[in-house]
Amino acid sequence: MQTFGEFEQLVLFAVLRLGDEASGVAIHDEIEARTGRDVSPGAIYTTLGRLEARGVVKSTVVAEGTGRVGRPRKHYTMRPAGARALRDAYAGLQALAGGGVLAKLNDVAKGSGR
Amino acid sequence: MKAMRRLAARLVRGEDAAFIRADLEELYARDRSQQISAVRAHFRFFRRLIGSASSVVVHKWPRPSVPRLGWIDLKLAFRLLRRNAGISIVAGLALAIGIPVSLAPIHLTLALNPTLPYPDAHEIVGIDYIDTDYGNDRQLTMFDVARVRREVASLATFAAARRVRQNLASTDGVIDVRSGAEVTASAFDVPRVKPLLGRTLMASDEIAGADAVVVIGHDIWQAQFHGADDVLSKRLRVGSTSRAVVGVMPDGFEFPFRGDFWIPLHVTLDTPPESGFPYVGFARLRDGASRRRAAAELEALRQRLALEHPAPYAKLRAEITEFAFVVTNLRPSVGKVYPVYVASVLLLALACANVGTLMLARAASRQREIAVRTALGASRMRIVMQLFTESLVLAALAAATGLGAAEIALRQLSIVKLFEASLPPWFTLRLSSLSIVVAVCLVLFSGVVSGLLPALKATSRRTYRAIQRGSAGGAMFGWTTSALIVVDVATAVVCLAGVGSVAKGVFRAPSLGATTLAAENLVTELYLPPGVIRGTSPAELPARVERLQRESERRLLAEPGVRAVSFASHFPGMRHLERRIELEGRALARGTDIVRMAFIDRAFLDALGQRVLAGRNFEPADVVAKGRPILVNRSFVDRQLGGTSPLGMRLRLASGPDEPPDAWHEIIGVVDDLGMNVIDPANAAGIYHLINPGQLHPAQMLVRVAGEPEALVPRLRAILNEIEPEVVLDKPVRLDRVFSEELWEARFSAMAFSAVAVAAVVLSAAALYALMAFAVTQRTREIAIRSALGARPLNIIRVVVARALVQLTAGVALGAAIGAALVPEMLSGISLAQNWPTMLAAVSAVMCVIGLLACAAPTTRALRIQPVDALKEV
Repeated sequence: MQTFGEFEQLVLFAVLRLGDEASGVAIHDEIEARTGRDVSPGAIYTTLGRLEARGVVKSTVVAEGTGRVGRPRKHYTMRPAGARALRDAYAGLQALAGGGVLAKLNDVAKGSGR
Repeated sequence: MKAMRRLAARLVRGEDAAFIRADLEELYARDRSQQISAVRAHFRFFRRLIGSASSVVVHKWPRPSVPRLGWIDLKLAFRLLRRNAGISIVAGLALAIGIPVSLAPIHLTLALNPTLPYPDAHEIVGIDYIDTDYGNDRQLTMFDVARVRREVASLATFAAARRVRQNLASTDGVIDVRSGAEVTASAFDVPRVKPLLGRTLMASDEIAGADAVVVIGHDIWQAQFHGADDVLSKRLRVGSTSRAVVGVMPDGFEFPFRGDFWIPLHVTLDTPPESGFPYVGFARLRDGASRRRAAAELEALRQRLALEHPAPYAKLRAEITEFAFVVTNLRPSVGKVYPVYVASVLLLALACANVGTLMLARAASRQREIAVRTALGASRMRIVMQLFTESLVLAALAAATGLGAAEIALRQLSIVKLFEASLPPWFTLRLSSLSIVVAVCLVLFSGVVSGLLPALKATSRRTYRAIQRGSAGGAMFGWTTSALIVVDVATAVVCLAGVGSVAKGVFRAPSLGATTLAAENLVTELYLPPGVIRGTSPAELPARVERLQRESERRLLAEPGVRAVSFASHFPGMRHLERRIELEGRALARGTDIVRMAFIDRAFLDALGQRVLAGRNFEPADVVAKGRPILVNRSFVDRQLGGTSPLGMRLRLASGPDEPPDAWHEIIGVVDDLGMNVIDPANAAGIYHLINPGQLHPAQMLVRVAGEPEALVPRLRAILNEIEPEVVLDKPVRLDRVFSEELWEARFSAMAFSAVAVAAVVLSAAALYALMAFAVTQRTREIAIRSALGARPLNIIRVVVARALVQLTAGVALGAAIGAALVPEMLSGISLAQNWPTMLAAVSAVMCVIGLLACAAPTTRALRIQPVDALKEV
């Protein structure tokens, strides 16, 4: 079973959300908008490069995009196998984090905050 | 922004670099458009840029951006090596000799301090005293053994041992001379090896008056007892003592020395500190005890002893050292090896510098190719890596060839086998894995020096600029080349002159002079073991030896087939004594006052089938004659006396400044040269001194036999053991097979020395040729212009050869100067070295010829070129 690091999960969910529009800048914006993290493009591309090598995503180079006219962009989409792997990984996390665990997490966080 | 963009171009590399950079710019542009201040936007750009660059680097880390060595590089390397086969072979040969030679000192040190094949071998240490005045070691005495055993607590087991070589005879009468050890019972607890049968020695065996016992090795069990199961009920006579066999050690167990029997050492406290045999001390450290603690305890004991007995102990220092060092006694030489490491690596560096120059010369001839590849987009790194690969492949092939040859030599050479046979079995000169690791490092070193550095130089900006200007390889070869040529020639001259002077005589068959009956003579060393001598009073010993010699002579001559028996200190082919002499009323030239000498009995000449050439042989009356007669050999008459008759002349052995002069001896006869100097028969002047039976111990015995002499050995042993059970008849061999240490030592050092010298010479000749040829090739254009302007060929040749001659002359002069200072020093004590000035001159001439030959081909080529063509070329 494939496992994913935290950043890989962020990137993959961003790709999933963006659908056909998942280019480097779009993924950057999506992550920044949802998590407030300003991630570097280099980190996004190397992560996606690695995931592509693992068969999780695939990329296509699109000649025209939403940015400056004529600038080629690389668009990423999820492969079915990748989607299944992410689903399994997330299901595992959910199973572990589900039930009353989140409430507990809140309690502990409050306790440690004191 | 321009600067940022440039920075991004520099830092962000790899597959998606273009996308990343474009994204960075887009994000920056958006930041600016969103009313973010320029400083903040720059800061954010910079942060993203660093993040991008580092993630790219981290991501790529296992595969750094440095081009990897690929199959294509290897393929190219092999192709180029093949294409330039001449240069490859020369450079390869140089490295094939250079790498093993520079590995040799490290290998030897590793080989002499091996990991012992016993459990927890790191706990096994040697114990030694060092004389602080002279730095040499002093082994333990019986007194030390007793005190260390009683008073040093860090040692789990302390043991002492002494080599013995004695006659062994089992009950069925087979007599054999074997090496073994007299050891404390604890010696077996150090290696922790269990016996195959029975037991090892026990503390109770050490007590004086206990039953005499012996533990035997597997080999003796097979040879003397034919592997009998009931060996533990048998007895073995060791010397004159019959001992009960109590144990058999497993096959291959030889500890602490080479040898396969062990007899108990009786340790007593009541011996004076400085008397008795020297013993090798060794121990196993207590669990957790450090060497330092043990050494401190040992030193504390030494200080206590110094208070009790200041004379021997005040100037000593106790030391815990490697076990291998105390066993082989090679410890003092180890410190001297480090300069040799440095020297050997420097030699390799010189070899590599030369190979590197060859590579550079070749790279220069490939400049156009390199330039084209660069123009087509190959990075500098790519080209450097390819040139480096080539050198690495060459060095690896050369090392494999050289080390393979060395390994075969180490397996085959009898000299190596003899050396190994003198050391305990865990020493082997064969290549170990550690040596191979060192060799791999040397290959890398060679690759870097001979490949990487020249490659960096060949692809440097300066070189490209030079190409742009149109002057080809000139930028690569400056004064360093000239310096290298000079150093090369000088090295070759020194090495060749040194080796040439010695090697000449070393590799031919040992000379036995006029000795003709060698194949009928059996020689053997005859002695009483030190233990027996200690038990005999000084007055009694000569009588005992005389009886032995006279009686054995009588009994042997009565044997069928025995023609003659003689005793002497040295027979032909052995390493004779050397003495400085004075001739009465005649000054001897320096170097001719050292002659060889042997003590012989009256039967010596007859036994060798010789007669005196002039004068007379020794007579019975000469033993007590006042004139103290001596014989000299033919070389003595020719060299020391210039052919004049020596009969009646007197000579004496010159003494040192503190010694009383020897009495005068009268020369009564001249004999032929009889192998007094096996290496250099032209330098075999020598004298023979008469000696009485009994005066010589140990003595060499010679028996002349009709038939195969070595067949007589069992009978000889039987007869001698009947006369004197303790006498050891050691290494009996036919006279023409005498192993002359002198010859083998000379051959060994000549071989090592020649290998180095041949490497140096091949290298310098090759480098000289390549550099000269290259330098002339570089001047093609100049030559063409000169001939276009009407210069005559002779003038052109003069111009070309002039520079070469300056370099050659400088090299030869430097070499001759160093050689004149060093060679006599290097060869001092080697009697073959008188002809080194001739050698020096000859070698200098040869190097000049090689250098001029190197100029000849390219010069004639340059002269044949039409000026117009040559000018079009560039």
